[in-house]
Amino acid sequence: MILIETRRGFLGGFAAAGAAALLPARRGRTEPALETTSVRLAKNTGICIAPQYVAEELLREEGFTDVRYVVASAGVGQSEAIANGSVDFSLNFAAPLIIPMDAGTPITVIAGVHVGCFELLGREDVRSIADLRGRTVGVQGLGSTPHVFLAAMAAHVGLDPINDIRWIVSTDPSVKPMTMFAEGKIDAFLGFPPEPQELRARRIGHVIVSSSVDRPWSQYFCCMLAGNREFVRQHPVATKRVLRAILKATDLCVTDPALVARRIVAGGFTPSYDYALQTLNEVPYDKWREFDAEDTIRFYALRLHEIGMIKSSPQKIIAENTDWRFFNELKRELKA
Amino acid sequence: MRVRAAFLLALALVVFPAVLTAHEAGSDKRLPVIGTAPPFALTSQGGEPVALADFHGKVVALTFIYTGCPDICPMLTQKMVDVQDALGAEFGTKILFVSITLDPERDTPEVLKDYAQFWGAKPEGWSFLTGSLEAVRDVTHRYGVFFAKKENGSVEHSQLTTLIDAEGQMRVQYLGARFDPEEFRRDLLSLVDKE
Repeated sequence: MILIETRRGFLGGFAAAGAAALLPARRGRTEPALETTSVRLAKNTGICIAPQYVAEELLREEGFTDVRYVVASAGVGQSEAIANGSVDFSLNFAAPLIIPMDAGTPITVIAGVHVGCFELLGREDVRSIADLRGRTVGVQGLGSTPHVFLAAMAAHVGLDPINDIRWIVSTDPSVKPMTMFAEGKIDAFLGFPPEPQELRARRIGHVIVSSSVDRPWSQYFCCMLAGNREFVRQHPVATKRVLRAILKATDLCVTDPALVARRIVAGGFTPSYDYALQTLNEVPYDKWREFDAEDTIRFYALRLHEIGMIKSSPQKIIAENTDWRFFNELKRELKA
Repeated sequence: MRVRAAFLLALALVVFPAVLTAHEAGSDKRLPVIGTAPPFALTSQGGEPVALADFHGKVVALTFIYTGCPDICPMLTQKMVDVQDALGAEFGTKILFVSITLDPERDTPEVLKDYAQFWGAKPEGWSFLTGSLEAVRDVTHRYGVFFAKKENGSVEHSQLTTLIDAEGQMRVQYLGARFDPEEFRRDLLSLVDKE
């Protein structure tokens, strides 16, 4: 785990403002004082969590003076970082949040933020999930987010994910399934932004399932905001303000995607402005007030339960690992 | 059979509007109280000093724009113009709009006055405010809006419109400029009806 510097530099003119923000920002509000002015968010190669990357200044406007981004591997690794307290909050795909919850790790999901960022990409002769029978599917590791989720998708259409799919596991972190796919070594893989955007630009493969438009996946949140359980318990005021900043940043992704793309490139979160902008234009960031976050946890918990990845019931996961009060309050206070 | 169905439909349309209205006016639809609206003191398009306290007793829609904004601010201003017109006699008497510039160095009172006239903002109910950069930045901090002026003169900013009731309480905030103007109008009127 690597602690990286905050991006005050890249935010240029905001620096002085951020330093001066705390006291005047709080004078006019009747909200209780923050229990902490520090917050740590995760950083990884995924860019569908752009709201998190551009939330820094909005967090400063909420009174946080120490905002840090901590490098954490995507998926389950990110959930572990939240659980062990090296990260306070992060947006993460629902499925890899639920697996550690089943093992009792202290994670609390507080909101759903956006829908549909992952895409199942395949060769031209793979036209549906059912066509994956007997095919090679690349994953970065067994138990990784793409593996778990693709297994759930396969089971959902009646395939046996263990025996019907030939999983090609890359043990070398530098060899990505996307690279194997582009080189023709595998038939399909599950891509997260900016991977689908890059492959489209290179005219490689095609989309079998897009979680932003294809049911049932498009009917549930993809990324949800999760926090360390103790942080949420001990810092309810800070938790609500973190969520408010993230939701404002999410709206910014809809209102001004070019601004957000510029900022996440300038901030070192991703190298390509074009892929970033494409991602921001494709991912539905405007659904957080419409979708039911609890339904999302229930849906993915059921899918994971079906394939034996978790033992807990959805009810138990929801009871022990979710807290929607902040989200519910902000849905009433913030309209879009 | 069709006649009977048509009769039942007509009956339902007569009976149920009252039920729906009652439901919509229920307590679950009331706007929450977020907190006391942060005070500010700036200068109007007429060059007059203006403070939030001057608006006490009126419902206020407070937003942030700048006149050189090429995309989002014009969308928002046009939307507010439409709502202004739809509010009729309530606008200016019970409901006020306040637009604070995010580019105070360029948006002098004269520039804001021209902008207001260009868009058809009615001066009796719509104030366009400016001030020193420090004063404007202070207001944006208080309302949770960020902005930064770029080298090319454009301003990167978030878009937030806050509805403040007659007692000076923030009741709801609208993100961006894509919101439903009819919902916005209803929320404003609901705060007037509260009086």
